Amino acid sequence: MARISIDPVTRIEGHLRIDVEVDGGSVQKAWACCTMWRGIETILKGRDPREGWVFAQRFCGVCTTVHAMASVRAVEDALQLEIPANAQYIRNLILIGHALHDHIVHFYHLSALDWVDITTIPQANPARAASIADGLSTWPGNSHRELEAVQNKVKGLIASGQLGIFSHGYWGHPAMRLSPEMNLILFAHYLQALEFQRKACQVVGILGGKTPHIQNLAVGGVMNAINLNSLATMNMDRLGTLQSLFQEMIPFVQQAYFVDACLLAASYPEWFRYGRGVANYLAVPDLPIDAKATKFDLPGGVIMNGNLASVRPVQDWHDQPIRAAVAEDLTHAWYVGNDAQRPWKGTTDPNYTDFQDNGKYTWVKAPRYDDQPMQVGPLSNVLVGYASGHPLTRKWTDTAFDRISSVNGSKVTPQAMQSTMGRYLARAIRSAMLSDLALEHWQLLTNNILKGDDTTYNPPQFPQHEIVGVGMHEAPRGTLSHWVVIDKGVFSNYQAVVPTTWNASPRDQKGVPGPYETSLLANPIADPVKPLEVLRTVHSFDPCMACACHTLDASGREIAQVKVL
Amino acid sequence: MNTNAESSGVRGNSVPKLQLQRGTALPAPKRVAVIGLGNVFMGDDGFGPLAVEMFRCKYECSSYVEVLDLGTPGLDLTPYLHGADLVVIADAVDTDEKPGTLCIYCEADVRGHRAQLRLTGHDPGLQESFAHLRMAGETPSELMIVGVVPESCEFGKGISSSVLTACSAAVDSIARLLVERGIDCFHRPAPVPPNIWWLCGDTSRLIALR
Repeated sequence: MARISIDPVTRIEGHLRIDVEVDGGSVQKAWACCTMWRGIETILKGRDPREGWVFAQRFCGVCTTVHAMASVRAVEDALQLEIPANAQYIRNLILIGHALHDHIVHFYHLSALDWVDITTIPQANPARAASIADGLSTWPGNSHRELEAVQNKVKGLIASGQLGIFSHGYWGHPAMRLSPEMNLILFAHYLQALEFQRKACQVVGILGGKTPHIQNLAVGGVMNAINLNSLATMNMDRLGTLQSLFQEMIPFVQQAYFVDACLLAASYPEWFRYGRGVANYLAVPDLPIDAKATKFDLPGGVIMNGNLASVRPVQDWHDQPIRAAVAEDLTHAWYVGNDAQRPWKGTTDPNYTDFQDNGKYTWVKAPRYDDQPMQVGPLSNVLVGYASGHPLTRKWTDTAFDRISSVNGSKVTPQAMQSTMGRYLARAIRSAMLSDLALEHWQLLTNNILKGDDTTYNPPQFPQHEIVGVGMHEAPRGTLSHWVVIDKGVFSNYQAVVPTTWNASPRDQKGVPGPYETSLLANPIADPVKPLEVLRTVHSFDPCMACACHTLDASGREIAQVKVL
Repeated sequence: MNTNAESSGVRGNSVPKLQLQRGTALPAPKRVAVIGLGNVFMGDDGFGPLAVEMFRCKYECSSYVEVLDLGTPGLDLTPYLHGADLVVIADAVDTDEKPGTLCIYCEADVRGHRAQLRLTGHDPGLQESFAHLRMAGETPSELMIVGVVPESCEFGKGISSSVLTACSAAVDSIARLLVERGIDCFHRPAPVPPNIWWLCGDTSRLIALR
């Protein structure tokens, strides 16, 4: 029995330590430990709820937008305040731009190098690579010349001995199996993705006034002035720019990213057998299409025990079971208390004990839904949508299955999606869906403005008595909820239950582990010194620890360690 | 079109030339970004966001100059550096100098590890963003870092007096770096009120900065 400790896991946002016990070439036990404390919620207590989102969006340096959104939605929920349709659409377009950005960065820049061995690229035949790529998609960035230029860059880099950040990859690992041509194609898109990441930021910047910290939100709507005859406001010019940005991004998402994810899935089919983890899934509905938020373009639901035949739909954000069922267990987390707390009564009092295998070992709390751990993220989104017959989810999931089968002849089923590879594929499916929805929500906004509706804000009124609310958002990493208590017009409690808290959850009082920990069980480990397989499964969740537990480590210096104990 | 940058008496390497041409006969449109990095809730780590906000209030620049508080973006710094002609980053830096020391570096200094940027919680950050952009051929033509040595980066501590004092000099240094490269940057006749919501208790001290 060997113990491997990876600290920190690299190519994620924030700090995460993973410990696994390996026996007979596979993982027998796992612990997910977040090494930083999040104390930021304490800052919000006593503040004016109208400005809470400005603070909340600093929960994380990366997913700023999602916390701003969940925060205003939480206050609006507490006030039962409806927002204008224009505000819904403008928020939706921001959320779509942010999500596309996030998913593209995750696939290429944070995880592709677990599967793509760039050191084989010099051996690729660029003409053959171009012809393979041409057979797979219509993406114009696959030309022979383009691929040759990328190959030359990689050759130059390797020859100079300056792989830089790329020198830490597990190159030549036996679990890396793509041909040099496939590696070249994927790495070419890795570089092109930098450009599309920028376009997604521009969308958020145009609507949000500023990115990464948007400025246009307000409790009650958005602060974007709409006047088609003014140069300084939301007008046809800006709407046109937004439309073009989405139109430029869509081919990259649907013809490069989506196709690459299918290719990866077809090339590593065994990863549909590993990493299933917790098979309870939670997704909340998002992208409302009406002012009252009664209809949504992304469906929500709950699936228990991997049973795709039975989905409990979550119709809207008023869903009573979610409000009643969510609690955070502190048994194995470095906080005072061992009980399970409802978020509205949640506390954040630190109690650090050092890493104890059977005691407290992480700064992440253990969120539970009816006492059960839940997996959140694009996979939950896609499974809920597929199982409930949502047409757009079905369209892109079936397209992905067909593509995989046309490459390797195998048949992927929705059941097989409950795996490490399923999480990668689901993120690409969700991105393809979102890029379709981008233009639909642009159209909804434009039509509504052309109809003569220019309202974007309904002013809030705060009562003197205590009110509670929850703001839900289906963020790129999964279900996010901010839980607020407002008394005499100020926050008296504030708790955020974030996607990575669900997924990186430690064991609870009954000893039941969370999704990361469960998903690592039975993962193969070919070489304990290079635990690439652990990274593949952990990266499949797109960990972002910063908001799961915020930094108090000011030194900023770190050395990645893989310790085999 | 190349502008020779004068030595500005700063620490670190000699200042390299600003290249406005990128392989074409016509000068590429100028894109300049003044970026503040840091966590506003972590005491002096919030130097970067404070410095760029004070810069925006004191100076007015041409429309191609973006003044951005990017917080702690980690790898998401990349799109803001992509293809820029000049990037000036204000950040807390970790050196052996005493707190409040103003240190100015160019890209070669960072690559040579003379400056260790303080990237709280959001590695890999600048180095990794640069590595990606280098591979794609889209690195900024020039990078300058206006750094201040922090006194304390503790949660909820606010800005220390030494860093606050240095901030004023840092703001003027940013302006000088731009002017030396032929970029329009004017002292505003009257400063714009700063939006420093995270230091609300400190406003009286901040007014002195203007």
